[in-house]
Amino acid sequence: MRPRAFSAYDLLYAALLRTASFMVPRAARAEWRREWRGELWHVRQACAPLSGTNGWQARREVTAFCLGSFQDALCVRRAGSTPLPAAQGTPRQCLFVLAALLVASYAVALLLPGVRAERSLWPRQVSANLVQIQLAAVEGAPRPSISTRLFQSWQGQRQRFFDGFAFYHVENEIMRPALEAPAGSDWSAWRVAHSSPNLLNLLGLPIEFPDPEAASITLPSVLLSERIWKRDFGADPHVAGLTIRLGLRTMRIAGIAPDGSLALPGSVDAWELDPNAVSDSAGHGFVIARLTAAGRSMMDSPSVHISSDDPEYENEDLLGVALGQDQPAPQTVYLFALLLALLALPAITTVSLGEASMHPRETSWPRRLFRWSFFAAKAALLLPILYFVSLDLAYGFTMLSREQSIYIQLAAAFGMCLFSMRWALKDQRQRCPVCMRLVTHPAQVGQASRTFLDWNGTEMMCMGGHTLLHVPSLPTSWFGAQRWLYLDTSWNFLFAGSTRPIP
Amino acid sequence: MDAKLSHTAALILQALDAGFVYGFSIMEMTGLPSGTVYPAMRRLERDELIRSQWEKQSIADAEQRPPRKYYKLTAVGESTLEASRRRYPLLERLIPSSEAKSV
Repeated sequence: MRPRAFSAYDLLYAALLRTASFMVPRAARAEWRREWRGELWHVRQACAPLSGTNGWQARREVTAFCLGSFQDALCVRRAGSTPLPAAQGTPRQCLFVLAALLVASYAVALLLPGVRAERSLWPRQVSANLVQIQLAAVEGAPRPSISTRLFQSWQGQRQRFFDGFAFYHVENEIMRPALEAPAGSDWSAWRVAHSSPNLLNLLGLPIEFPDPEAASITLPSVLLSERIWKRDFGADPHVAGLTIRLGLRTMRIAGIAPDGSLALPGSVDAWELDPNAVSDSAGHGFVIARLTAAGRSMMDSPSVHISSDDPEYENEDLLGVALGQDQPAPQTVYLFALLLALLALPAITTVSLGEASMHPRETSWPRRLFRWSFFAAKAALLLPILYFVSLDLAYGFTMLSREQSIYIQLAAAFGMCLFSMRWALKDQRQRCPVCMRLVTHPAQVGQASRTFLDWNGTEMMCMGGHTLLHVPSLPTSWFGAQRWLYLDTSWNFLFAGSTRPIP
Repeated sequence: MDAKLSHTAALILQALDAGFVYGFSIMEMTGLPSGTVYPAMRRLERDELIRSQWEKQSIADAEQRPPRKYYKLTAVGESTLEASRRRYPLLERLIPSSEAKSV
């Protein structure tokens, strides 16, 4: 053997072959390495004349040759284990995998706290039957403009358009994170809303809050906004139950209100359900009202004018502004992304299912119905999978704000819908019209066939032996779409003696 | 109906019959990459359409190179190839049997 100087590339080639060899079963590994080393020697000899500017090309070819060893090693490994299972590529296997993915994505959505919190808000977001009442003359950001007296008079009267009212007023208070913290130590200024006890019920939020009437027995509780939880507590997941000093009072943190769940005016950092919220407020506050069916029918725009017969407000015009419509629900975001993906789909693949290339005599109506049913089942499983995965991605990270999560869900859902639908169409096109199994063993038909057969593409076969599928690489006027070739009995003699899948 | 022979497999059988008897020469002749040719030959050998044999060490030593593994068609492989040629007349024109047997 001719001695030859080793280079870094020799080490690279040897490393690639050695790495691939570990995939080969131990019993066959030595012989496998011996064959590939022998072949590599000849490949290097063949590429050796290429030097200078062609040196890079030669090294690339040798590297590509070595990379092919991984596929060979994998093939040897599989051959040593089990042959292809009979169910591979069948519709049942496809649907089973999709169903498993659906269960997994739903389970992850149930486990992620961010997704759980978002899901708990969905009923409120879809039922936009709340209005915030304020003076119509108030311009810009909403300001507290309803007096406690008017609120109490509304509460005391039967209303036609409203069946519930809640009141809150906001005060600036100093928060110290621990009971023992000395005055002047780490503190921050919070805007604390003191609300009537029925606020959370009115909003329809399923948040368990200690009974404010029993606050004399235990410490009064406070609900933090997500923003202040991240800012002052570093998004600590164990913050619930901690005691803090809020002004002169000691309070217990009951939980966190996720962004969007308490999107009420007033830039509130913390919420306290206070039975004395109305009586303690000498001035004005915010009023939230729940619409009756008659009230909802009157809400033909995001805001409606309301009149009051109260002497204080008889010359004032009131405005009812709809709440909960500024941010879309996750379902809405997902459906919008799905629509965008459907519109963009023709840009990345043909939307044909390949039905036109099927022979009507070979494909009966029941079989065609089965094909369409299978496609519908695939879509029915894919859509919820993509929905839950987009939720997992968007709301799995609790450090993100709701606005950021909406953008993430939109982008993720669009990308996944686009490429999943592309896969669904391609999968459908590559299923044998006779047995619905996926065609396999793609063979690239290249230069030779282009010369003699006037086409260049890929040929795949049905493992059931029913069909061959021809897919052109570059559609031409004489070969624009894929074609099915049905194998009749004359093909049996061609492959006589062959009883197992052959590459 | 039994499973069918792919284009790749038919091409490799024809190349072997034409005298390209080891992996790299088949790659050169067919233009197929190593990741396709070697796995295909493993399956053909598994299905007893071809068989392999190491050349003698003394021959390799005399030519100052590592020994290589040669492949050869079996009787079943030859009959399968013959049937493939009847179905694909172009197969023999793409890789004429006389082309390499003289090499």
